[in-house]
Amino acid sequence: MIFVTNFLTRRGTALLATWRIWRDTLLFAARAILTAATPAAYNSATRTVVMKQIYFTVVQILPGFTLFAALLSYVLIQIVVTTAASYGLSEYALEVSMRLLVLELLPLITALFVALRSSSAINTEIALMKINGELLALENAGVDTMRLEFMPRVIGGMISVLALTAFTSVIALVLAYLAVYGWQTWSLPDFSRIMGNVFQNTVLLGIFLKSLAFGLAVTVIPVAEGMATPRMLFMAPISVLRGMVRLFFLIMLIEVASLAFKYI
Amino acid sequence: MADVASHREFLAKNDLIAEQDNALVSPDMPLRANLSVIDNIALIPQYRSNLKYSMAADQAWALLVETGFQDMYAKRDPALSYSERFVAKLLRGVISKPAILMVDRPGMLLPEVHYPPFLFSILERMAAYLNDCWIIDYQWNRALYGAQISYPELDYPELPQTQP
Amino acid sequence: MKRPAGSSLIKNLEFKVGALLVSTVLLVVGFVIYTMYARGDFQRTQNLTLIAPKADGVSIGMPMTFSGFPIGAVKRMQLSEDGNVRLEIAIPSKDARWLRENSVFTLEKGFIGGAKIKAHTSNLKDQPLADGASRTLLTGDATEEIPVLLEKLKSILNNIADMTNKESQINQTLANVQDVTHRMTGEYGVLEGVLGGPEKARQVVAVLEKTNALLASLNGVSLKVDAVLAKTDSRLFGPQGVMDQTQESVAKLNAILGDARESLKKADALLANAQAASADLPRITGNVREATADMANLRTEIDDSVRKVNHLINEINKKWPFARDVEIKTP
Repeated sequence: MIFVTNFLTRRGTALLATWRIWRDTLLFAARAILTAATPAAYNSATRTVVMKQIYFTVVQILPGFTLFAALLSYVLIQIVVTTAASYGLSEYALEVSMRLLVLELLPLITALFVALRSSSAINTEIALMKINGELLALENAGVDTMRLEFMPRVIGGMISVLALTAFTSVIALVLAYLAVYGWQTWSLPDFSRIMGNVFQNTVLLGIFLKSLAFGLAVTVIPVAEGMATPRMLFMAPISVLRGMVRLFFLIMLIEVASLAFKYI
Repeated sequence: MADVASHREFLAKNDLIAEQDNALVSPDMPLRANLSVIDNIALIPQYRSNLKYSMAADQAWALLVETGFQDMYAKRDPALSYSERFVAKLLRGVISKPAILMVDRPGMLLPEVHYPPFLFSILERMAAYLNDCWIIDYQWNRALYGAQISYPELDYPELPQTQP
Repeated sequence: MKRPAGSSLIKNLEFKVGALLVSTVLLVVGFVIYTMYARGDFQRTQNLTLIAPKADGVSIGMPMTFSGFPIGAVKRMQLSEDGNVRLEIAIPSKDARWLRENSVFTLEKGFIGGAKIKAHTSNLKDQPLADGASRTLLTGDATEEIPVLLEKLKSILNNIADMTNKESQINQTLANVQDVTHRMTGEYGVLEGVLGGPEKARQVVAVLEKTNALLASLNGVSLKVDAVLAKTDSRLFGPQGVMDQTQESVAKLNAILGDARESLKKADALLANAQAASADLPRITGNVREATADMANLRTEIDDSVRKVNHLINEINKKWPFARDVEIKTP
């Protein structure tokens, strides 16, 4: 009997902890967005942190990441074009490859890459700041950590995911043209017609909102998780692993939700 | 953590002063690790007075020059010596011109120097920015300070720390 | 002492991030403008309203093609008061010249892929189509005909199965034909086959021989008659004269020949039936083959049945002793 009680107690505690961290994350996201929407929240230091965040998340990786995305896009476009041709559906190849890449795959890959690279870094940094007492010291010195450390990261992360998605998508567009029509410009009207068909206003809005949601996820989760770290050094890796797992889950959830919204 | 909480409790109970108007230099209040010393100090006016970075950095630089520690301006926390780190923390408090500057257990911050003379020399250089300075130390270190400062009567003798 | 400039750890941070932000904004704005252009938001268009009984597979943005080239797109769709679908098509002004007053618009739906709206213009010198014109959209739906086609095929196949059944009429007929042709190969050929046995055939042949003999004697009689005519008329045309006797003989001969003709007609009818049956089969299978170009399974089944029938027909042909155009001539 006592085992059952203990077991249920443990499960209940774990469930409550999970629920609490998601609630804290949501609350933090709301606060970060509110702060970001307040012009008075920005000062020179905040701007510097935003810029640094964008620098580390985008500028540093831009050449490598765009090269990788271009390679992946080209291979996938070729696969779609060849397969479509073998089934006699060439006219749909361009549309299918654009829907696959620009609408779904590139935003997702960007989010996953930023999550791997920047979110883990943010999570570690915030967790260590929390454990070291730097956050407390800043608050004590009259510096609002939300304005200095958290909100700029969220803003920077959202801009970063948007920028990377925009860059890779445009590259995929150019590559798709080259893969289907080759090195000539006469087919531009044809290409434009298909693009006009694919990228309706609602679709563009959908990509934008999805990228924003990804950008929010890849920053809000690690920051919230880092803030929730207990002040013990051995908790730092645990905090990061929890944050990453929750982030992966949330990214997939956003993707599935967007797919469900679009196709169901 | 417990120290900070008890300090705060102490301050609140004595109804001393609003929190924004005092500054605390403490072993529990580290510098921002990924910023240089000058950026750490400049951060405070950037936030509290919405200053541009250049102006805030000018103020920080002036303070560094006055203490004679300007050479460490670009170092980050792990590269600092104990006295450098202490000065950086102190200047972070000083730059906001607090009503009360509290130095918490200077012995822990300055283990490698004979700290009361060092502390007093720095404080004298900063005299223009300071209103009141409290040094919080253990009762048994009282002898180190001599007669240079006043010792208030304690309302709470059961408190673990003594206020010299 | 002056503050040393640039303690920041990243060189040109502001410039790099600024350049990135500007290029991102340019990319996004450029992309949005491009899609607006691609959708034809900056083009001058003229409207065409197509009215169709239904618009399965038609979607907003679907192109309308002329000779395989897209010259317009569906802008709006709505259901009109009378239950028809109104498709508003925007046609860029530069492409409007392909559409004339006599143009015909069709909605086609293939087995795979979406529907297609096509414009057909037979005479490009006709009056140009006016802006805001309204036309009927003719629908030709291949997939809709599939169930009907399948039903027809099924009944055809059932018929074939009935025909090739062991107890089927055609089999019995063919068995009869076989029987008949077998007899035809006998001593008396077709006559034996038609009349049902060598005995009867022999009788017919005998009758025919007698007839021949009769005809021969009749010839003699008529010659004599000529001679007699030349000499005397009164005897010939008088009562109980030669003429009366001759008439009687001729009447008899006619009756005999009539009998033979009746028998031959019956045989002809029988043969015609068999021929019609065997001629129908290739025609039916020809239709089936046309209708089911892709349906290999069905085809093999039909082929199988047809092969059986063909085999039988070949056998008939082998045993048939006459060429088709040979006719049985009465002497």
